[in-house]
Amino acid sequence: MASSPRTPFAPWDRRELPGKFTVEETARRVGHYKWFEMRMFELMAGWIATIPELDIKLRLGTHSYHHAFHSELWHKRLPELREMNPERKTVAPNPELEAFVTELGAPEGDDKTLEKLVGMYRVALPAVISTYTYHRNNTSKITDSPTIRSLQFCLNDDMEEWVEAEMTIQSLITDADDARRAADRQAELTTLLIAAGGIAGPGSVGSFDLEES
Amino acid sequence: MKTHISPTALARDTRFNRQTSEDRFTDPRSTMEVGHVDPMAEDVGDRARRRMHGIFVGEIQALEGAGRTAFDFPAGDDYANGEIPYELKLDMARQCWDEARHCEISIKLAEHMGGELGEYVENTMLFEAACHNDPVFRLAGVNRALEGLAIDVFTQMRDFGRETGDPVMVYCEDFMLADEVTHVKMGSKWLRAVTENDPERRKSALEFQRVVDGLFNFRGQRGEEYESPIRLARQFRKMAGFTDGEVDVIAEAAAKERAAIEAEQMAASILAE
Ligand SMILES: [Fe+2]
Ligand SMILES: [Fe+2]
Repeated sequence: MASSPRTPFAPWDRRELPGKFTVEETARRVGHYKWFEMRMFELMAGWIATIPELDIKLRLGTHSYHHAFHSELWHKRLPELREMNPERKTVAPNPELEAFVTELGAPEGDDKTLEKLVGMYRVALPAVISTYTYHRNNTSKITDSPTIRSLQFCLNDDMEEWVEAEMTIQSLITDADDARRAADRQAELTTLLIAAGGIAGPGSVGSFDLEES
Repeated sequence: MKTHISPTALARDTRFNRQTSEDRFTDPRSTMEVGHVDPMAEDVGDRARRRMHGIFVGEIQALEGAGRTAFDFPAGDDYANGEIPYELKLDMARQCWDEARHCEISIKLAEHMGGELGEYVENTMLFEAACHNDPVFRLAGVNRALEGLAIDVFTQMRDFGRETGDPVMVYCEDFMLADEVTHVKMGSKWLRAVTENDPERRKSALEFQRVVDGLFNFRGQRGEEYESPIRLARQFRKMAGFTDGEVDVIAEAAAKERAAIEAEQMAASILAE
């Protein structure tokens, strides 16, 4: 028995076609994401042996895998965006972001846990969360839903990590000196990140400029 | 952060007491003898706690070692000049997550057994092997030799849980065993892939693996008999990419060492008479 026709989109499905990014622009951003996620998982992994706090070692082991997994999502997305050589796009958007990552990874000693965590979880991770949220909210929910799906996987992990790490950082800040150390470190790295324009370069989280927006 | 840190750079809180491999092997007492965790033994509780603590410190170092390998070597295909495959780095990060869980599991199991963190000395042999300059040697020494040993130990602890009626121990050891089979498999796979065009490098890495295996024969205490303090889990080792021949080599080396020690002891007792 033939059923009566229905609208192809449910009345509650408000997804629209237009999106802000071309295929090329999407591939460019995704390549920068992969590069940055790699630096995050490497640094977290490398720090484990140098951090004496047992609970933090274990969390970094878990978080490092999250970011390796995110980098792999972007690695696999690149050929789907016509980039057949993913390595070519796996780059920093500019030398300023490379400088930011070098400074992010600079703390080394076993007395630098606070500096390590503030850099990673009060500067780098929030930058990732805001860039991914901007991307998710501005790309086409129909044509680019594979990118949205990966962004959402990443954001789920990132939001959880952010809360967990913030609570850990608060537990490490016990007096005015610690508070100052944390604030100084955050300011130093934020300044470098401003120079880079964000993890995907200028426009990482869009623009308020009347013409550009 | 610099790459290739020294094994002594390992960061610990004040609860831990460290013993380097050199300290261990030059100790005139028989600290290498780990003893069979026999459910019927009078001191079974202490033996099991000691074993669980040994597992725990092995897990932290496995976590730290995998982390360093993910960090120390750039991704690329110039294997002769220190690059490693991107996918190998991903596997090392995955191993970090697994080892972090193993730490959590062994901490909780040790607490349940009445043990305390830092109660026993920590030997840093695993991390020392994980600091080798050549990533292929790390795969051979850590992923194949020492994680292979973890397969044996977890199989034995799972059986110990069965024999003592501890279902939580059986459940946890079985999951960890599955993870360790995966880690050894990673070692076998990447060792083969990275040395595909470099037979000399493969040969020396496998030689290093045999040296590490030899150091962990615990004075000949590895074997396939039930009473062996460390029982070789042949079936799971094969699942992880070991050949029967490779397991035979470990068993034979242990038997030889055991025979030599027994002969030494017999000679000493004859002399004493
Ligand atoms: Fe493990
Ligand atoms: Fe393992």
